[in-house]
Amino acid sequence: MTRVGIVGGGLAGFVAYLTLRRGGVEPDEIMVLAPESDPAAAWRRRAAAIRQTHMRSESNGHCLPTSFPGLAVRDARHRRSLVPLVRSVCDRYHPTVDEFLDHVEELRVRSDWSARVRRTRVEQVRVVDDGFELDGHGVFRHVLLATGHPGNAVPEKLRDDPRAVHAYEPHDYAASVCVVGAGLAAATEWVNAITAGSTVISVRRREPVRRPLNVPRPYLSRRGLATFQRLPAERRVALLRELLAPSYPPGREWDEPLARAAAESRFRVEAAVNGADQLICATGFLRGYRHDTLLRRLVDEQELATADRWIVLNPNSTVPALTNESRTLALSGVAGQWAFPAADTLMGARYSAHAFLRRCRTR
Amino acid sequence: MSYTLKGRLQSRLAALAAPLGAAYMISLTTREWWPVGLAAAMVAVVVALDLAYHPLLPYQPGWLALPLGLLELGLVMAVVLGLHVRAPLAVALGLFAAAWVCAQLLGQAVLPWWRLSYAEDGGELGRTGLALVAAVATLFVASAAVWYAQRPPIVHLASGVHRGPLVIDRSQRLVGDSGAVVVGGIVVRHSDVTISHVTVVGGENGIEVDEVDRVVLDHVTVLRPALDGIHVRRAAVRIHACFVDMRGAPFGQGIDISYAMDKGESVVKGCRVVGGQEGIVTHSAMSMLTHNRVESASLRGISMTEMSMGGIERNTVRAAKGVGILCGDHSMCEIQHNNVAGTRADAAGGDRTRAGFGIEVEYSSEAELSGNELGRNPAALGVFINSVIHWKR
Repeated sequence: MTRVGIVGGGLAGFVAYLTLRRGGVEPDEIMVLAPESDPAAAWRRRAAAIRQTHMRSESNGHCLPTSFPGLAVRDARHRRSLVPLVRSVCDRYHPTVDEFLDHVEELRVRSDWSARVRRTRVEQVRVVDDGFELDGHGVFRHVLLATGHPGNAVPEKLRDDPRAVHAYEPHDYAASVCVVGAGLAAATEWVNAITAGSTVISVRRREPVRRPLNVPRPYLSRRGLATFQRLPAERRVALLRELLAPSYPPGREWDEPLARAAAESRFRVEAAVNGADQLICATGFLRGYRHDTLLRRLVDEQELATADRWIVLNPNSTVPALTNESRTLALSGVAGQWAFPAADTLMGARYSAHAFLRRCRTR
Repeated sequence: MSYTLKGRLQSRLAALAAPLGAAYMISLTTREWWPVGLAAAMVAVVVALDLAYHPLLPYQPGWLALPLGLLELGLVMAVVLGLHVRAPLAVALGLFAAAWVCAQLLGQAVLPWWRLSYAEDGGELGRTGLALVAAVATLFVASAAVWYAQRPPIVHLASGVHRGPLVIDRSQRLVGDSGAVVVGGIVVRHSDVTISHVTVVGGENGIEVDEVDRVVLDHVTVLRPALDGIHVRRAAVRIHACFVDMRGAPFGQGIDISYAMDKGESVVKGCRVVGGQEGIVTHSAMSMLTHNRVESASLRGISMTEMSMGGIERNTVRAAKGVGILCGDHSMCEIQHNNVAGTRADAAGGDRTRAGFGIEVEYSSEAELSGNELGRNPAALGVFINSVIHWKR
């Protein structure tokens, strides 16, 4: 019997699948419903578009269900060197994108993931007595929705501008480039365009925040989470907005090329988009459940509790109104931020997957 | 890792489980309490530090384990020394190092691999963690109970005269009531014996301790034994605030501790010895002789000889014949802040080493000297036959 349904076959769905397998759930009890069978496809396209070479996350930014052994251990084994482990202990290990993708591929093949994926896009979740019916694919007692980011965010004013391209879409660099945004994608694009010989204009509403990870580390464990999850809705929304503000890591790899380019008058900050040849929107993703067709319909049909742009969740990432003793509906990935602020990271995917496994294993 | 307080403590106890087990195994094997004391010191220090770390370290990077480990080592050693836990240094360091390595392996690898949500739970181990806390607490409570149950019984010696020799062949704490006197000597033939507030008169030796461990003599008085006042062989003892009167016993030593180099350090502190050949003497023993007063010894006041090691500190020696304080025969001595006066030259036999030296270092011995008052002696300092002295500032 297929008890468990995972809607979404991206990295969050993949982490959930691997976690369920590690927790003893049999493969034939799991069905993954996703339009693509490559769990890294969407992520790979975005990373390629911004020419990302290294992961922002550290050694534990991987798809395995446990934080150890991470990519540093794998790298150390391959290179027969302790250097990756030492760097990891010092929080200075950032694996390359290629290493990360190789690892995903290795896990995909080893876990028989492709055999569990049914290629389809789920449009509606219907609540039935014993669980949830997923677009005619059957009834599942436990369902994890990992639908990912609902789409790229492009500022309204630039939507019809023929010069505009989103950072996460394939593009080259014109002689003069205006980059809109202040997060990691924007910083990456500044350096990319400068390296390509362009003159870069940064347009941003605020000065970029510099921090190693997007969400401060205490919020990645129960230490900070317990406080976060106890906050009343209004304060939680405010804190989430603060935590999820764009940022990029401190480091010479950003500062030095920008300083050199500024000295050569090839990098400057301006308040508004001007007459540059190309506009790159490093403005991230559309934010909030309303942009996701499946989630919007679920909220409207089931009258689920929401706060601002988030669906209100239990601390274990389950939807309170639709989860009971016998069935589970949980959210993973960016939609799970109400339970775990860094839900759109690999650690966040693990967090919701662990809680989901506990539900599946005991019911 | 961002530990919760509970997670920090549970992870710590998990890491200490193996070293604690090892300490208890050593304790059972050697039938000694110091491994348990050492383990308790480690647990107490690291748990106290964990309570202090918690508010200071919202996030603890892996590398910080090294400096924190050194801090913890320093504090554990301070507690061990402060509480006089008699743990061999190598074993103490070994246990601590094992605990540290265990903590790193567990915290960085084993626990995150074994427990899916270890990182996001802030190091908490769920029911396993609670069981660990309960197990460690039970272990220490049980140890305390065993220790309490094994304490030697207190035996009161009623006031009045008791015919000796009194042979002690069971572990006990012998406490003399006011005016308790044993005539004919006391012989200690069992370990873990404390004798306090007892007066001994006569006997071949006043108090004899032979090949036993953990013997304490506290506020004992020894009068007119035939040979030695306190005679210790193959044993380490602690003697505190004793009075030994050797007048009328010309061939005995006041306190003689011999052939105990492998038995640990003996301490003689706050005693007064009058008469005898040597007031206090050690042969092949490790000892600390401090704050004693030795008067009118007919051979030497205080001697540390025959490959002995130790300290002779803050003693007062008066009217010794020949030598006040001797460090002799391949011994190594720290002789500091003693007051030696009135030493008399021993002209009989023409031995030049007995010319009334305040301090004498002889026959391939090595002594470190500082702060001694030797003014009122025929000769202040004598160094003979391949011996060396170091002046400590």
